Amino acid sequence: MILVPITYKGGVFRHDEILDLIEDVGGYIIQKHMIAQEVVLQALVPKDDIDTLKKVSRPLAGEVIPAPLVGTEIAVVSMSVEIHHLPHASCDIAEYLRTAGAKTNMVGLARGFGKRIGLLSDEERDIINEHDLAIYLFGNFETCIKEKMPTFRRGIKVPFIVCGGPSKEALKKIIDPPAAGYIGGMGRFMHRTKEPHEIAMLDEIVAEVSRIIDQKRAMIAKDPLSVTPARLMDIILENVPDIHEVTSPVPVVVQMDGLRVKLPYDPFAKEIKNIEVESGIRIVDICDIHPSRMRDYILLKVKPFSETGMLV
Amino acid sequence: MSTLEYFEVDSTEPVGGQLYRRIASTVITDHNLLKVLERLRIFIDPAIPIFIAVGVTRTVPRTITVSDLAGVTFDEQKITLSIADETYLANLLQFLWKEYGKDHVNQPDRFTIEVQISGDAAESGIEDLAVADPSEGLYKDLIYSMQVICPEGYKVKKQNFNNGRFWFVASENTLPEDVSSLVTEQFEIMGAAS
Repeated sequence: MILVPITYKGGVFRHDEILDLIEDVGGYIIQKHMIAQEVVLQALVPKDDIDTLKKVSRPLAGEVIPAPLVGTEIAVVSMSVEIHHLPHASCDIAEYLRTAGAKTNMVGLARGFGKRIGLLSDEERDIINEHDLAIYLFGNFETCIKEKMPTFRRGIKVPFIVCGGPSKEALKKIIDPPAAGYIGGMGRFMHRTKEPHEIAMLDEIVAEVSRIIDQKRAMIAKDPLSVTPARLMDIILENVPDIHEVTSPVPVVVQMDGLRVKLPYDPFAKEIKNIEVESGIRIVDICDIHPSRMRDYILLKVKPFSETGMLV
Repeated sequence: MSTLEYFEVDSTEPVGGQLYRRIASTVITDHNLLKVLERLRIFIDPAIPIFIAVGVTRTVPRTITVSDLAGVTFDEQKITLSIADETYLANLLQFLWKEYGKDHVNQPDRFTIEVQISGDAAESGIEDLAVADPSEGLYKDLIYSMQVICPEGYKVKKQNFNNGRFWFVASENTLPEDVSSLVTEQFEIMGAAS
């Protein structure tokens, strides 16, 4: 069954019918936002049932939009949390990626500024590595990006995209070994992105992120995961009642190859490890469970089929 | 940025320089400094690295006195101030309390202040009492905006504001003891362009 990432936008009225339909056809709701009278759902729906969903949502004035980044967690790395880098461009990019379905986290580095003095701490490195992809937001000068790049890529295992003021070609030229993706003309700026060419640039970022995510999906497909992270999310939501007490808007974050459960590690990890996914198969049999460096959350990474010999 | 007589951002990296021009323009507009600035030149060399901003302000506003913001009337030992501009009212009250004591300063309504004094009210010289010095705030605003424009890693800074001319130099490394030659060079380029 091929699951397609989509965003559903519609009114609150009878939206429970949409929720039921997605669950009935075997889809998963990754995020649900209720904004005033509007409901925004980010979901994974079986490819064959997209038309049914569109048909059912039509009388409710609902809209089904493909959202390529649903089910991914992306780190938007800002060089600092000073006025120089926030809210533009960091927030603009993070927010735009959310419209494409991604769960974005802003990682504001403590000492990221400066070409010689810029640093990446081990905690920051580990947090970035917990994501599916990282976007580095650098400044406007080639000299600085070139000099600070080795510091910022040390120990980073996830693919990363470099955003900077110089053109894409210039970035490609100065970064060696190459990064996963490049966005030129998007360095430091202090105004809101609202002009058409700036929006086009944000679209370009979404396209670049989608391209890399698709590559990663293709890699995963070669050695499939023992369980779909979205299914694992449903199992945890069903079996751990405390997760419903979490006030965070997304208590369980779906990643491409795992989950972030926003419960403290010590009291809950054991309970989660022993949950049965199917008869005789517990979560611990098909996942690596670690304490996350982000607060004291729990991080689950699903083992591939080649390691477990199981497809649940 | 049309109201600036001269505005130039120069850099050894032209692309970066253009982008910094946009940053400078946004920051100056956001901080409401367009009316104050007459000329501004910024030079950035990321290889050294150094950031130099030099500029000239328009006529610096003079010290604000009581007569600038209030109508003053005298009645024997009583002074009545009718406030026309509330901007500096808090400062004014502070000065009056300090000068005449809280017991002698009364504010019956928002726009009226009454002061009881011991001698002849007309000879008190209250009209010329200095309430605020706008140039002090202007200097802070100017230097703050230069810090915002300047790349964040440039933590070593030196600045000066004198007689309507100001400069701001920043770098990631230590700055030379005397930066006057760097600043003079930029002032000269700016002067030659006029």
